[in-house]
Amino acid sequence: MRWWPGLRRTDGALLTVLPALVATSVAAGDLAFVTNQSSSDLSVLDLDKRSETARIPVPGQPAGVAVSADRGWVFTVSPETKTLRKFDLATGAELNATVLDGGPIGIALAPDGGRVFVSDWYNARIWVLDAAAMTVETMLTTGSAPAGLVVAPDGSWLASADRDADQVSVFDLASLTLRHAIPVGTRPFGLAVAPDGRLFSADVGSNTVTVADPVSGAVLASIGVGERPYGIAFAQGAGFVTNQYADTVSVFDLDDLSVSATIAVGEYPEGIDVTSDGGMVVVANWFSNTVSLIDAKTRTVSGEIATGDGPRAFGRFIAPADGRTE
Amino acid sequence: MRPLRYLAIFVGIVLPAAVLAHGPTRQKVTLSAEVAAPPEEVWAVIGNFQDMSWHPAVFATTGSGGNDIDATRVLTLGAEGGPTISEVLYKHDDAAMSYSYRITDVLVEVLPVTNYSSHLTVKPAGDGKSLVEWRGAFYRGYPNNDPPPELNDEAAIAAVTGIYQAGLDALVARFATN
Repeated sequence: MRWWPGLRRTDGALLTVLPALVATSVAAGDLAFVTNQSSSDLSVLDLDKRSETARIPVPGQPAGVAVSADRGWVFTVSPETKTLRKFDLATGAELNATVLDGGPIGIALAPDGGRVFVSDWYNARIWVLDAAAMTVETMLTTGSAPAGLVVAPDGSWLASADRDADQVSVFDLASLTLRHAIPVGTRPFGLAVAPDGRLFSADVGSNTVTVADPVSGAVLASIGVGERPYGIAFAQGAGFVTNQYADTVSVFDLDDLSVSATIAVGEYPEGIDVTSDGGMVVVANWFSNTVSLIDAKTRTVSGEIATGDGPRAFGRFIAPADGRTE
Repeated sequence: MRPLRYLAIFVGIVLPAAVLAHGPTRQKVTLSAEVAAPPEEVWAVIGNFQDMSWHPAVFATTGSGGNDIDATRVLTLGAEGGPTISEVLYKHDDAAMSYSYRITDVLVEVLPVTNYSSHLTVKPAGDGKSLVEWRGAFYRGYPNNDPPPELNDEAAIAAVTGIYQAGLDALVARFATN
């Protein structure tokens, strides 16, 4: 068992009561690692206790984040100092740092934790790094201004949202070659892969979510969502999309791709992720300095947790504290 | 007439070809001021998206769409023929006394920001007074690495802060002299 130090269960009496109170929407032991860009740190949030348990300094205004529950790592990307960092998920200790000269922004990990991918906003490429050694193995060429990245659950492909090219690039990860350049909506930023394998992009400029098949490269559908969609996560058979300017989360059903709910959250919602049990969706509210906790079944906000200044949480930022996967 | 703070931002530099990308770190500014009038009176002055004459830097407001979503306005700064800022309304709530808008077109020589959005809100402050809050979110004017000083994050924050402060100061003065 690995536990965050600040989580050590010294307050046993309280904790015997709490789970009963919040049992309907708790992912036991999940932690959220929220990059706070303005205060240059990382908030570690215990989603069980609904409180911040630690604050780790991360210089250089971090935005991108990626966790590897199996390896026990959390990576951050600081664009101001062009630095990729790796922390021990359990202790918060910094394990490694490397400078990526360019405009590092988005980040994703291979499912086996072997490789980490970082997009270069300014130079239309992706750094491919060995995640353990943090050394650059190679680079992949994308369209202009790649932002969000996502890797297939089976590790077979990597996709980048090429914001200023209005496209998503899909790379074969076995051969490290471009498989498709898929035209999507205007200025895609966040990307996510649904449990059914379909690829979704949040298109900031057209207020749409584009649905594509990463294997064939076909565009399957476009979903109208709120103003300035940013990030996407999946839970309970639905997609949850943060709408930056609308201060809402749009919920669309995966079976018919229709928007079935719109949930008011904090101001400038950005990063979004789901707990390991699929019960809770967590949204970072950049202007409000909070995360909103959404019950994925009832689609209502069940709580809020304060963070540092300017939470972005751009990437997958939730991990079980004990390192297990679902 | 006080000097226009943000006209002083004019820097006369030429940017490379227009690009869509923005700087790496979005900035935020929140300023507020207590105004000696009830919220309804203050909102009556500032709540109309088509009239920004309450701000000392604004010479003229022209636009269409009233206070409906997607209404537009063009602010002319300083004097006739002065630089302009084009804006679009994306939220307006008379009950909450709040509206939100974003800039659709401005030269970074006029205002050194990109991807700018803003919210103006009037809240009750007790004793017949109001709290006016003005918030902005934006990227710096220079979209790439290593910005020149006049287009860096600090310059963007200073420019927006200057605009908000001038507007709030004018509101405080306007109601104080009533």
